[in-house]
Amino acid sequence: MKFKVGIDIGGTFTDIIAISETGDTTVHKILSTPEDPSIGFINGLREVAGMRSMDFEKFLSSIDTIVHGTTVATNALLTLKGAKTALLTTKGFRDALEMRRGIREEQYNNHYRNVTPLAPRYLRFTVDERIDSEGKVLKKFKEKELLPIIKKIRDENVESLAVCFMNSYKNSSHEKQAVKFLRKNLPRIFVTASFEVLPSIRFYERVSTTTVSAFVGPIVAKYLDNLTQKLESISFKGTLLIMQSNGGVVSPDVVKKTPAVTVLSGPAAAPTAGAFYSQLLGYKNCITVDMGGTSFDTSIVINNQCVTSTEGSINRYRIALPSLDIITIGAGGGSIGWINEGGLLQMGPQSAGALPGPVCYERGGKIPACTDADLILGYLNADFFAGGKLKLNKSKAKKAIQDELASKLGLSVPETAAGMYRIINSNMAQGVREISVERGYDPREFLFIVAGGAGSIHSSEICKELEIPMFIVPNVSSIFCAAGMLLGDLKHDYIRSHFTSFNNLDRNKFLSLFNEMKEEGIDTLLKEGITENKIEFYPVLDIRYVGQYHEVQMEASWDDVMNFNLENIFESFHKEHNRQFGYSLKEEGTEMELINVRLRAIGKNEKPKFLFENIDAITAEQAIKEQREVYIPELNRMKSVPVYDGDKPIFGSQIKGPCVIEKITTSIFVSENYDCVVDDFGSFIVFEKEKYPDGFSLKKELVEVHAY
Amino acid sequence: MKYMHIDKILVSIFQRAFKSITDEMSISLTKTTRSPILCEAKDFVTGLYDAKGQMLEQTENLPILSFSLGPVCKVILKQYGNDIHEGDVIIHNDVFSMGNQNNDVAIFKPIFHKNILVGWSAAKGHQADIGGAVQGGYNPNATEVWQEAIRIPAVKLFEKGNLRKDVWNLIFANIRLQMVQEDIKAQIGACTLGERRLKAFVEKYGMEVFESHKQALFDSTEKMMRAEIKNIPNGVYEGKSMVYYDGKHKDSKFPIRSKITVRDQEIIFDFSKSSPQTKGFVNGTYTSTCSAITLTFLQMVNPNIPHNEGMIKPLKYIVPEGTILNASYPAATTFGNHLCPQVADSIFKALGPAIPEKVTAGWNHLLCSLFTGIHPRTQKKYVDICFLGMKGGSGALKGDDGYDHIGMIDASGGVLDQDYEMYEQQTPHMILQHEYLSDSGGAGQWRGGLGTVTQIMLRGRDTTMVVFGDGDVETNYGLFGGKGSVLNKIELKYKNGKKLIPMSKDMIFGIPNGTLYYQIAGGGGGYGNPKKRIKEKVLQDVKNEVVSESAAKNIYGLKTEIKCNTK
Repeated sequence: MKFKVGIDIGGTFTDIIAISETGDTTVHKILSTPEDPSIGFINGLREVAGMRSMDFEKFLSSIDTIVHGTTVATNALLTLKGAKTALLTTKGFRDALEMRRGIREEQYNNHYRNVTPLAPRYLRFTVDERIDSEGKVLKKFKEKELLPIIKKIRDENVESLAVCFMNSYKNSSHEKQAVKFLRKNLPRIFVTASFEVLPSIRFYERVSTTTVSAFVGPIVAKYLDNLTQKLESISFKGTLLIMQSNGGVVSPDVVKKTPAVTVLSGPAAAPTAGAFYSQLLGYKNCITVDMGGTSFDTSIVINNQCVTSTEGSINRYRIALPSLDIITIGAGGGSIGWINEGGLLQMGPQSAGALPGPVCYERGGKIPACTDADLILGYLNADFFAGGKLKLNKSKAKKAIQDELASKLGLSVPETAAGMYRIINSNMAQGVREISVERGYDPREFLFIVAGGAGSIHSSEICKELEIPMFIVPNVSSIFCAAGMLLGDLKHDYIRSHFTSFNNLDRNKFLSLFNEMKEEGIDTLLKEGITENKIEFYPVLDIRYVGQYHEVQMEASWDDVMNFNLENIFESFHKEHNRQFGYSLKEEGTEMELINVRLRAIGKNEKPKFLFENIDAITAEQAIKEQREVYIPELNRMKSVPVYDGDKPIFGSQIKGPCVIEKITTSIFVSENYDCVVDDFGSFIVFEKEKYPDGFSLKKELVEVHAY
Repeated sequence: MKYMHIDKILVSIFQRAFKSITDEMSISLTKTTRSPILCEAKDFVTGLYDAKGQMLEQTENLPILSFSLGPVCKVILKQYGNDIHEGDVIIHNDVFSMGNQNNDVAIFKPIFHKNILVGWSAAKGHQADIGGAVQGGYNPNATEVWQEAIRIPAVKLFEKGNLRKDVWNLIFANIRLQMVQEDIKAQIGACTLGERRLKAFVEKYGMEVFESHKQALFDSTEKMMRAEIKNIPNGVYEGKSMVYYDGKHKDSKFPIRSKITVRDQEIIFDFSKSSPQTKGFVNGTYTSTCSAITLTFLQMVNPNIPHNEGMIKPLKYIVPEGTILNASYPAATTFGNHLCPQVADSIFKALGPAIPEKVTAGWNHLLCSLFTGIHPRTQKKYVDICFLGMKGGSGALKGDDGYDHIGMIDASGGVLDQDYEMYEQQTPHMILQHEYLSDSGGAGQWRGGLGTVTQIMLRGRDTTMVVFGDGDVETNYGLFGGKGSVLNKIELKYKNGKKLIPMSKDMIFGIPNGTLYYQIAGGGGGYGNPKKRIKEKVLQDVKNEVVSESAAKNIYGLKTEIKCNTK
């Protein structure tokens, strides 16, 4: 029996899913071991083997693939515990990295600080070389200028070095010479250059992304080396793949070259899983939301494709590599309630996190948090949180809300808790609005998928505010990301800048850029064990109207690119511009220009089968555990509603709102204006009362998906 | 009046919702406009106002434009009375009816609910051209408004949804660049977005709830602002700063004098004693000055106060007509926005003794240049406002160093540098240097933000340079023992070895290809005695080469041999 395993290591929990070739699934959740995440990794596998009554070594040797999402790079950026990093750049441009184009995000706050540069000024070195905007060498690069710099790098015990020269996107020869010389003379130092990481126009984006890659590089490499060694030593013979920020997976060796591709390794799996689930249900578009302890992540899937963006940053460090477009706001179970100087109640973005945590956790938290409100409002069961593993103290939560908030607002405790609930819902709805409306998409046309433990208590209110008629809580919603990892293909993104008006675009040059990227893609994927017939290419062109500053990233077909069929490309550009901004300039005949060409190379992976056992279902009534008072937003008061045991096999049942459905890993609140149906996958579909969604009798489609 | 129950939670939600609407309008403008002043530098503001023209919320990318929309909205209401209809679009730039600067053109759209006016959406942006004698609007020789711009008092571009083609044509017949028409269309688009969303919002909650909760939001915000003012001891405080050179008379200078009265929970900013208006274009307008006052005061209060009518209610402004900060009709005023640094200085200096923990030392003043010429590669005309060269440091304050390379206080870090490589594609120029300038941050216990040095090879044909700004005569001041910074400077180095230092308001014609442009933007002033600066910080600055060893010894009093801890 062969297995595929997904492992998502987050700040608090390590989630594991193991799926056998016949499709049966084991799901496990254990505490993370942040000091060395590989300990939790191995222990988790050991426990899963135990759960399947298998010998550990035998289990390991039967795993053909492990896909792993890691927060090692993310945490290095968040805590600034990366490598001691230096930067080598062109004379005159020593400070671009730190200047960040001169932005201060909080304009009226004079105490607001600039970010700490990942390469401090005394480790930013320059050489007197220059390539002009056309790629012509104005001043030759001289190796001997590097000698004193190399000495300083050694003296300072620098661990990592980024190289980024002006206009190297036009001509990378100087960077190549420098890197060759530096690697030879500094063999123990991680050296990375911009032409390897992001060979595209915009100096600030490039220097920042390259430096981020250098900063996280040695740590990521060390972690992966350690992990692969451990796995080998306990007889793992399968393939280890790492989740990337772009939603694809990649081999550890490729990660070590461009470590910045893993900065969103964890959350990137949610939209990937979302794309899969929506397809399962016959939808092309979905929005996924993931509400955890401190943050609320939301992302979007269009035409079964996760939407990527190159506008990302983490902790204000700019990373211009294609990453899944994920909006993160400070709203989670730990978000704290507070009253501003004007006497108004606010929620977050500060969070009590897991420690000290919400007051009801009794781990020292004093300030009431979202989870405390959810408990008061009856959405959470004090004795059944995490299946009863963590007892919640309701009276402490009440007292904290009374003392810290209610007394100051002149409201009762339930009124205040209801207020906390409504405000955080409104904040999260704003996050969803950002990912959809502000990108030109109407959220009402999307399937709304709720992942993470805390989200399904809040979803009906978020949906109501945005007029979204239905949301779905997948069966494995709490380990959604781990499951999503097994669904990712191998993905590599390539970019070349070629700044020209289309009138002057040279056909041969255009094709050679694409062929160059194609060769690189094939080469990498073959090394990762993908056969050539499983490789697909997706070209993207960055285009704008002459005179504009912001370009549109536009997908093109491989055939149109190879046949140089510009008319088709122009047509799609006008359409895309119109969709995003409400107009196009097709009629005016405005000239267009090309900025970058991009190619995504995808190596199709074998997907696991998900099997859903056909246990005889029981009726919903048989699953009622108790009646409980919960807050009903539509009525603005508490009301006694039934509580269902969501872990019972109630497939195919309809459940009337209002009610609470309790699972070990999550709770679902179905509000007054909603009903719920449980589909054959054990997922919960919550929809506006009496508006039973079409196409949800699923047995037939399930088979088709299995075939895929 | 009927008692209406106030849902405090709903008030919080109102505030969030208004903010999300103005943010969305702002994003739309960034993405659709063409002039780099708008889409790169974000020299625009979006806002929502109620039926009386009271501010509901604003997204203030460039604060100096921001506090003129409310007053103009009130002008429009007075002018049109009942003649305001769904589908109207009103345009305005006139500085003699509450506009702040000729180039800053506002679009207003009324918002109706069941045929009753409930509010306005508005967007104002700095247009690349606005007619007048000189492209771009900065005309140091102007003495009257007509030499600067076409005046647009409030006028309807659309009436009940129909374009008034004659009005449109008349206005744009007087503006040089086609791009401006496109950018005005983008502003109308942003207002339509705001209209749509506020309308839906009022529909959702109904008029009564909307009105009562909006008022509750104003009241709560006003309470926050008054609490901040209460922290300032009652008294009368005075400060002075100086404007140098009016563009016409060498060595001319003009004092700005603030008298600030704090009385319980109210604050009055009186600039009556400032210089009379100048004969050139170095003159403020009433709303540019009020914006300058407001944005400076906001730097000293809780940054989380929502921006609505309640925020500005406790602030009183006295800026008499005929002064340099509120010139009488028909004076030239294009430079007015750039008097903000001096207004800010006079306020910080005045309030320093009262709230020493809140004021900052002097910020770098703007000195900026604008190039026009022919790009040899494309043979087309190019315009380059050299944002990246003009940005110096902010003043230090108690507890924190100033912000490096932030630029003028009017923008407070809202205007971004062009990307170097994009810049070299868009203009014929080549950047040789853009770096922090060592020893440019005013010394102090807390150091002023660093200034910058910029060198650019000018490689266009028929290049003209317009210079506007200040800060080349008097350095940015330090506070409480902190030192000042270095002066702003622009210099042209011609190929034949000749050098030219332009005046701070100047036009230079026919600059040959190959001329080197050199600019220093000064840092911010320091705060507190430099000898009290934590040693580790001085050592770190020396190690990072932003403070020289000699300054560390002589100014910061570092006695130990400087041996940078390199191991």
